[in-house]
This record gives sequence, structure tokens and C-alpha cells, in this order.
Amino acid sequence: MIGVFREIPRREIDLKPRLLALDNTIMNTFVSPEKPLNDISPTPAAHAVDLHKIYGTGQTAVNALANVTIAFEQSRFTAVMGPSGSGKSTLMHCMAGLDSPTSGKSFIGGIDISGLNDVELTQLRRDRVGFVFQSFNLVPTLTAAENLTLPLDLAGKKADKDWFDYLVGQIGIGDWLARHPSELSGGQQQRIACARALINRPDLVFADEPTGNLDSNTSTGVLSFLRMSVDELHQSIVMVTHDPRSAVYADRVVFLADGNVVGSLEHPTADSVLEQMRNLAS
Amino acid sequence: MWRITVKGILAHKMRLALTAIAIILGVTFVSGTYILNDTLHSTFASIFSNVYQGFDFQVRGVAQLNDAGGAVRNPIPESLLPKIKKVPGVKYASGSVIGYAQFVSHKGKAISNSGAPTIGVSLALNSHISYLHVAEGRMPTTSNDVVMDAATAQKYHFKVGQQVRILLAGPPRTFTITGITRFGAATNLAGATLAGFNTPTAQSIFGETGLFNDIYVVAAPNANKAVVERSIDRILPRGVDVATRQTVVNEETTVIDQGLSFFSTVLLIFALISLFVGAFTILNTFSIIVSQRIRELALLRIVGASRRQVFSSVLLEAAILGLFSSLAGLGLGVLAAIGIEVLLRGFGISLPSGTPVIAARTIVVSIIGGMGVTVIAAIIPAHRATRISPVIAMGGQQSDSLLFHHRFIWGAFVSLLGMAALGLGLVLSTILFVGIGALSIFIGVAMLAPALSRPFANVIGSFLVRTLGVAGKLGHENSMRNPRRTAQTASALMVGLAVVSAVAVLGASMSGTATSSVDNAVTANLIVSSRTSSVASVGFSSAIPKAVSTIPGVVSTDMIYGGTPLTGQFRFRHTLETLESVSTHHLAGTVVLHIVAGTSQALSSGDLLISSSTSKSDHLSVGDKVPVKFALTGRSTMRIGGIYQPNSLIGSYLVSNSFYLHHYQNPLPTAVLLKTNGHPAVQQKIEHVLVPYPNVWVQTRTQFEKSQLAQIDKLLGLVYALLALAVLIALIGIANMLVLSVFERTHEIGLLRAVGMKRRQVRTMIRSESVILSMFGAIIGIIVGTGIGIALAYSLQSSGITDIVVPVPSMVAFLVISVLLGLVAASWPARRAAKLDVLAAIAAE
Ligand SMILES: Nc1ncnc2c1ncn2[C@@H]1O[C@H](COP(=O)(O)OP(=O)(O)OP(=O)(O)O)[C@@H](O)[C@H]1O
Ligand SMILES: [Mg+2]
Repeated sequence: MIGVFREIPRREIDLKPRLLALDNTIMNTFVSPEKPLNDISPTPAAHAVDLHKIYGTGQTAVNALANVTIAFEQSRFTAVMGPSGSGKSTLMHCMAGLDSPTSGKSFIGGIDISGLNDVELTQLRRDRVGFVFQSFNLVPTLTAAENLTLPLDLAGKKADKDWFDYLVGQIGIGDWLARHPSELSGGQQQRIACARALINRPDLVFADEPTGNLDSNTSTGVLSFLRMSVDELHQSIVMVTHDPRSAVYADRVVFLADGNVVGSLEHPTADSVLEQMRNLAS
Repeated sequence: MWRITVKGILAHKMRLALTAIAIILGVTFVSGTYILNDTLHSTFASIFSNVYQGFDFQVRGVAQLNDAGGAVRNPIPESLLPKIKKVPGVKYASGSVIGYAQFVSHKGKAISNSGAPTIGVSLALNSHISYLHVAEGRMPTTSNDVVMDAATAQKYHFKVGQQVRILLAGPPRTFTITGITRFGAATNLAGATLAGFNTPTAQSIFGETGLFNDIYVVAAPNANKAVVERSIDRILPRGVDVATRQTVVNEETTVIDQGLSFFSTVLLIFALISLFVGAFTILNTFSIIVSQRIRELALLRIVGASRRQVFSSVLLEAAILGLFSSLAGLGLGVLAAIGIEVLLRGFGISLPSGTPVIAARTIVVSIIGGMGVTVIAAIIPAHRATRISPVIAMGGQQSDSLLFHHRFIWGAFVSLLGMAALGLGLVLSTILFVGIGALSIFIGVAMLAPALSRPFANVIGSFLVRTLGVAGKLGHENSMRNPRRTAQTASALMVGLAVVSAVAVLGASMSGTATSSVDNAVTANLIVSSRTSSVASVGFSSAIPKAVSTIPGVVSTDMIYGGTPLTGQFRFRHTLETLESVSTHHLAGTVVLHIVAGTSQALSSGDLLISSSTSKSDHLSVGDKVPVKFALTGRSTMRIGGIYQPNSLIGSYLVSNSFYLHHYQNPLPTAVLLKTNGHPAVQQKIEHVLVPYPNVWVQTRTQFEKSQLAQIDKLLGLVYALLALAVLIALIGIANMLVLSVFERTHEIGLLRAVGMKRRQVRTMIRSESVILSMFGAIIGIIVGTGIGIALAYSLQSSGITDIVVPVPSMVAFLVISVLLGLVAASWPARRAAKLDVLAAIAAE
């Protein structure tokens, strides 16, 4: 591991944000979501101000997000939890620029994405954001290796060989690089999807229930990889999950209900998450 | 993106294969047409340069009417020959005449190769000049000698020393074959038969005693040819000129090329119809592929593919498919050229064969055409692909009801625009507008089709449910699952059948008109005319009218001259037109003219009668003086003496026989109209008299009518055969769409099988979907086509189509055939669906 660590070609190991974050967690386990976070950390990886999203109109209108203000700090692993239909996916879509909010602003690395056009959003997604979904993350006609480098190919860039080898080594699928997704297990596919999300060294990775279709053993592989990328690569990750056992991999858990942020938990443990969930349900 | 595209193509090989066939067939037709055209061109060019090898200059009459086709030239006096021989630098010179001479086979049949000319020529005894090589036997020396071209001799088993009867402008004569000729390496002149006589004989039988058509000159080897040409030119009288060998070859080749270009234009129109139909299939396939890859495309968008990248990826896929299909089509074009030739021969048009010529133009047009059609057809699906919202990758579906509404309005708009363009095109008789109009109507109707498909499918569907039970119901519902897709698939067939129906309406109207024309134009009981089609007819021996007029029971005999494309050419104001003439003695007894203005008596005083459509289009009325020009007599003005209702049998310009005989060199009658006492024996007697003239026949009005109809039917048959490809491509489109949807519904079919659907029911389900598709396409096509056909027929009223007929039985037949073909198209997809392994199908995503 240490050997690999030295080869990480990207960010200089900058402990400052992490220290600040630690400092923050020590000071207070409960961070009020309404409280602006700018003063306790440098520019967050992504943040949203007064996000509001209504689907449909009139009688059938659904208030998917009701005035959400939230920040995802850099180099941290944040889990988003909440009952089905609470607006977790919607929040991610709006913050990643896949969908546009009804009102409010969202930022990625300080850039206001509500003002961007399609071309700029595409570029932003390609260069600064990574995605992992519950399923269907890979293009079925491309091999594992080709899927891995897809964002770079689309940008017309060449894959950095060291970085590629490092990621492949981390997800441990070196032997199957030439295989097509249909010839890989669900866990392998998800690990490739995670690695792909990192291939362009994004500011932030959004993962929507990346382990939703996997058994607990396979999930562990995926989650460890994500954890590793935060610890060793200082990646910022936001992950939606329903499973408290997954949530414990995160540095912080944010709880949503009915389109509102209803709670947050630093350094979650299975017990604290469950308790929080129970509190919210009651 | 390049890699994704290529991988996409490889992954969808199966789905693209059928689409490729649609493009390949269309391109094959296009390249086949060009290859045939170029092959014929080079064949003729080599024949001409072969034939005209021996001489350096040709002295001939100045071209009189040369606006279109071959120049019409007058003969030149024989007395020029000795003068030319004396010109310094001239080594040899020899005159030649050319005229009508048709061999009669051993079986007594007039020999003609489906409309190719039957030529008689004088042969120069001087072998340095003669363009014919006597391969066997000797040159004709006496007035009883003839040489025959090798192809005719071979085909009809004639040998040197045998007797052969030859039909001439005068009475037929029997000659002795003294030799067999060849044109260099070729055995014949592209189907033309050739009889060679010695010069005095030829001059007498062609009625050109003391005249030559051309004088061929060979310059001395050391002479300066340009000087010799100038010296010859100096001694030539007015109205005679001299041309180099190269000029003559070029002129002849140009004439052939003009004929060929008409011919290839017609073929190209059919080829383009096929490509257009193919475009629908391509559009459909790409739409289906895009919608099947909707999640994949959304995923690409999420990981950073821009709209442009998605768009160009789909287009690139189309371009690659188009390129490969075009190349395949180009290769198959060689076979198609042979195929078209065989097809045309089956319909009586024979062409000389030669080594296929693939010109650079053919390659460029095929590839650009094939790729262009594919890429253009893929634009809409590609655009749709860019509109896929990235969120879809996570499992949403995109509704396009809004688009749907737009399409309807646009469809109506485009259809109306098309109708306007069509109408404008018909009024102005501009083929381009007609084409654009028809095209827009097709596209507009195709856009309207999704809205029409639901009510339509409900009607047929309810019938299918009643007869086929649950399988029929599922088939119906599948066809309605994506109305746009159903409509696109059916649209290809719609276009094919619309063209077929339009042609059917036109054909039926022509037939109806021919019938009524005979009734309206001819009162004669019997009609003597050429057996060959009227297009190729140059007339027949003028001895015939004399021979039949003396038969007891024949009350009156009327000759008709001109009226076919090869006779009666004259310049009317600024265009070349065809003149026809009738005798004025018994006019009322043989021909009916519905005079609108003026009087038919004016014919006797040398006036011109014109049809009312000409008078309308040229703004002419009785008493107007118009400039005309005849090859023989030059420019003059004629008075319009009367205007008659258009009649396809009489044509648009009519004069009296005596006028005609004064203005044409030795014209041959093209028809003889007989009034008899009505006794049936008279016809037999005439037939007996006509035995020596196997190129003509005598027919009652009913028989005449029938043979006219037979000609139209033959033409229709050819057109249908050429359209068959378009319909075939449409059916491939249906098969393709069914295969794709079977593929898409693999999981669902597996489920159905798992819950107890029999294989037979699966097949029935797919087939009923196909029946709905093909009926839908056929019915809209027939309706649209009938409309276009009526419009076309209406606009052709001026060219003599007076009756507009909708052939309902043919339409019903088209519908039935389409449905049957739809079932055939469904058979493979149906079998594929029925064969699916239940477990594997359920496991499929
Ligand atoms: N495209 C849409 N049109 C209309 N309503 C939608 C749409 N997408 C989501 N919604 C609604 O918005 C609300 C929030 O949905 P969202 O998908 O964000 O929930 P979620 O928290 O991700 O749920 P889950 O845990 O089931 O994935 C839900 O009530 C949902 O029905
Ligand atoms: Mg969700």
C-alpha cells in the first residue's frame, strides 16, 4: 500500500482541509445544515443554496426538494440517507447539473452551475464530476478497460498510464480488462464504475446507491474502494444509501425527509445511524 | 467516440444487416443504371469508330433540323463525286445512299430486333473506303445481289447463295445473298439489321437516283488533311458541307448518348424511388436503435459526452453503414446492369452487350448517394439521441407527446406544401416540381401517419382479435406500442405503393383514352399498320395502299403519313414537333375530327390544323400565321386553318397528304384506313394481299384497340417491374422492424412462452403485427397514389389523356399482394421469435 501511495501522481498531500475538517468534527458533532459552512472549511467540493425542486404542476405537483441548503466538504465521504421518495436522487441530480432546480443555486467547486448551458455542463461533468449509479453504469459494447477510460476518450485526452494502472490495481480486475460488462459480475461492474468515476480526477464523485444491487460481501469491496479514495487520494464523495452498514464508511451522514435536510451525523457508527433513523421515523 | 461508434456497429451487426440490404439494393439500382449507360456508350462509341475507320472526310447535306436527336439532312447530287475526286490530295472518294430495307425470315416474318433500325445501304466496291468488311462471300455487284450483316445471318440461318426477300419503300423484292458483313470485330450495329446493295441498286430502291446521302473521302497518305478539307469545301455548293471522320463519330455518339440519357434518366427515377423508400427503412432502424440504446446514450451524456458527440456518433455510424453498403451496391451494380438489360430484353428492348464500364462518376455518385441517403435519414434519430435527458440512465422514460403534436401540424403543413408544389409542377409541366411535390407529400403523410395509425390499427386489430384470439390481440397491441415506429415502417411501403398506384391510375387512364380515341377518331372499319410499336415505326411500303384499294368490297382507302417519332419531324415555331397527315378526299368517312374552331376543309388549301391543347399552350387561334421549317423545303409560314379536340391517335399537328408529300423526301405511309362494305371476307382478302408484307397487319377497330392496349400494358408491366424493387425494400423494412422488436422484447416473449403461449401463437402474434403494418402502409399508399395519379392524368389531358380511370380491381389486388408479402416478410422474424429459448429469453435484460 505504501509503495502504491508514493506513486499517486495527483494531488500533493495537503493535510490542511482534513485537519480543518477534523477540527470541525471535534468541535461539534452536530452541524446545523442551515449554517453556512464557508467559514469552517475552504470552498466546499459542492454546495447548494435554497434548492427547490417541484415535479409536475397543479394537483400532481410533487415537492421533491423544499429549500435545501447543504455543503459537501472537500476530501470527505458524505452519505445521504432518507426514506424512499425523500428526494435523495433529486438532490444529487440537481447538484450535479443533470437536472435543473425549480429555484435556488448549486455550486461545484465554487462555480455556479445554474448559469451554465448544456455544453458547459457537459464539460463540467466530464472534467470535474464523477458518477456511479445503482446499475447500468457501463456501456455494454465497450470492454472494461474502454469503459474505464471513457470520459477521457470523450474529452479526447490520453489516459495517464500510471493513474490507470493504479486504479486497476485498486479495484483488482486487471485480469478482466478485456471483458465486456455482460461477462462481469455486478460487483466487478460497480468497481469499474467507481474507478471510472475517478479516472479524470474529479472534484467530486456522486454515487447513487452504488451498492443497492449488491450483496454485503461485494458491497464491502466497492465501499472500501470509495473509502480508500477519500483516505489516500483525498477524493470528495457523496453517496446515497439506504443501508446503515454502508453509511458507516462515510465521514458524515446527512438525513433527508420529504425534501428537507433533517439531520446530520459525524463519524457514524451502525448504531448511531440506526438510532438517528429511528428518531426521524418517530 | 470513434471507438464507441465502431463498437456500436459491431454490436448491432444483425440489426444493421437488414438496413444495409435496403441501401445496397437502392445503390445497386443506381450504379447498375450508370454502368449500363456507360457500357452502352462505350459499346456504341467503339462500334462507330470501328465502322468509320476507313475514310478521312464525309461530304453531306447541311443539317436542317438538328435541335434534337439526329440531324435531318438532304441528299446531295451524284455529280459532286467526280469533282471531289479531282481535288488535289484526294486519293479515293465514293458516294453512298441509305434507306429502309427489312429482311424477311425463312418463316416469312419481318426481321427487326425490337425496334432497332432496319437499314439498307449502298456498298462502295472500293475496299479502302467501305466501312463494311465482307467476312464471307463477295460484295454485291448486280442489281439482284445483297450482303447481310453477320448477326442477322446467324440468328435467322441465312447463308451465302440463298435467296432472301426484302421489304422496301416500294414493292418487296427477292435478292441473292452474296456475302456476309461484319463491322470490324462487331457482328452488328447494336441490333440494327443491315442490307448492303451495290450503289445503283440502292439508289433506285431508295428512290434516290442521281443522289447520294454522303460521299466518303480518303486523303492521300502524304497530303495535309486540313488543306484537303479546305480544298473540298471550296468546291461544294450551298447546302453541302464536309466533316472530318472524328466529327462524324462524335455526332453519331452524341445522338446515341441523347437517347441513352433519356433512358438512364427514366431508370434513375426508379432507382431514386428505391433509395427514397430505403431512406425510410434507415430512419426507422436508427430510431429503433437509438431508443434501444437510450440508457447507454444517457450514460454517455453523464460521463461527459457532449450533444455534438452523441449526434456525430449516430451519424458516423450511419456514414460507415452507408459507405460499406454503397461499396457493396457498387459491386452488385455490374450484375444489376446485366439484370436491367435482361429485364428490358424481356420487354422487347434489346441492347448491345459489352464489357461493363465502371466510370469514376458511377463510383462517386453511388457512394455519395448511398452515404448521403443513409446519413440524411439518420439525422432525425441522431437529433433525437441528443435530446435524451441524462437522468434517463437512471431509469426514467421520456415522453414525446409534445413532439407528437408538432409532427402532426408539420405533417399537415408539409403535405399541403407538397400538394401545392405538385399542382404547380403539373400546371407548368416542370418535372422537378412534380418530383418535389410528390416527395413532400410522401414525407408529410409519413409525418401524419403516427396519428392515423391508432384508429386504423384499432379497426384491423379488432378483426384480428376476433379471428386470431389472444395472439392477434397481442400483435395488435405491439403494433400500437410505438405508433411512430409503426408509422415509419408502414411509410416505406406507403411510398412504394403510392408510386405503384399512381402508375396504375395513369396506365388505366391511358388505356381508357386509347379505347375512346379509337372510337372518337377513326370511323374506318379496317386499319393497316406496322406490327412494330408505333414508336419504332418508320412506315411501310407505299405499294400497300395501292394493292389493298383494288380489293372488291373496299369502299375507300386513306393513307396516313408521319405521326411517329421517326417520321414527320418539322420545326413548329421554335420546337421540333411531329406532323401527321391525312388524305382529304374521304376525311369524314375514315377519320373523325372534333373541330373546335375553323374547319377541316382548310386542310385542302394547305393549312395546318392543331389540337386545342396546342392552341391553348401556344396562344394560337384560327387564321394565325406561324413560322415552320421542313428539312426538304426549308422555312415558310403556315396558316392555322382549324383547331380540333386533342386525340392521342391523331397527334397535335395535322396537314393534308398532298402537303406532306411535298415537304418530305419519299415518305412512307404509317397507316392505311379502310372503309369497307362490312363483309368479313374483305379482311381475309386484304390479309392475303398483305402476305408479302409481313411487317404490316390489318386489324378491325377492336383488334387495333386491343393492340394499342397491349402496348400500354407492356409499358405498365415494365414500370411495375422497375418499381418492384422499391416495394421489396419496403418489405425488408418491415422484416427489419419486426426483427428489431423481437430482439427488444426477448424478455417479454420469454415470459409469454413461460406462461403457456405456444410457438405457433408467437408466430401468429408477430404475423398479425406485420399484417397491420402492411395493410396500413398499403392503404395509405393506395389513397395517396391514387390522388397523385389522378392529378398526373389530369395534367396530361393536353397530351391526349382524356379519360381518367381509377382501376379499383388493381388497387384491391395491390392491397392483397401487400398483405401477403407482409406475411412473407414476417416469416423470418416470427420464426426467430418462436424459436427463442424460454429460459435464456427470460434471463435477457
Ligand atoms: N421525473 C419525475 N417526475 C415526477 N416526480 C418525480 C420525478 N422524479 C422523482 N419524482 C418524485 O420526487 C420525489 C423524490 O424522488 P427521488 O427520486 O429524489 O427520491 P429518492 O429519495 O431518491 O427515493 P429512492 O430512495 O426510492 O430512490 C418522489 O416523490 C418522486 O415520486
Ligand atoms: Mg433514488
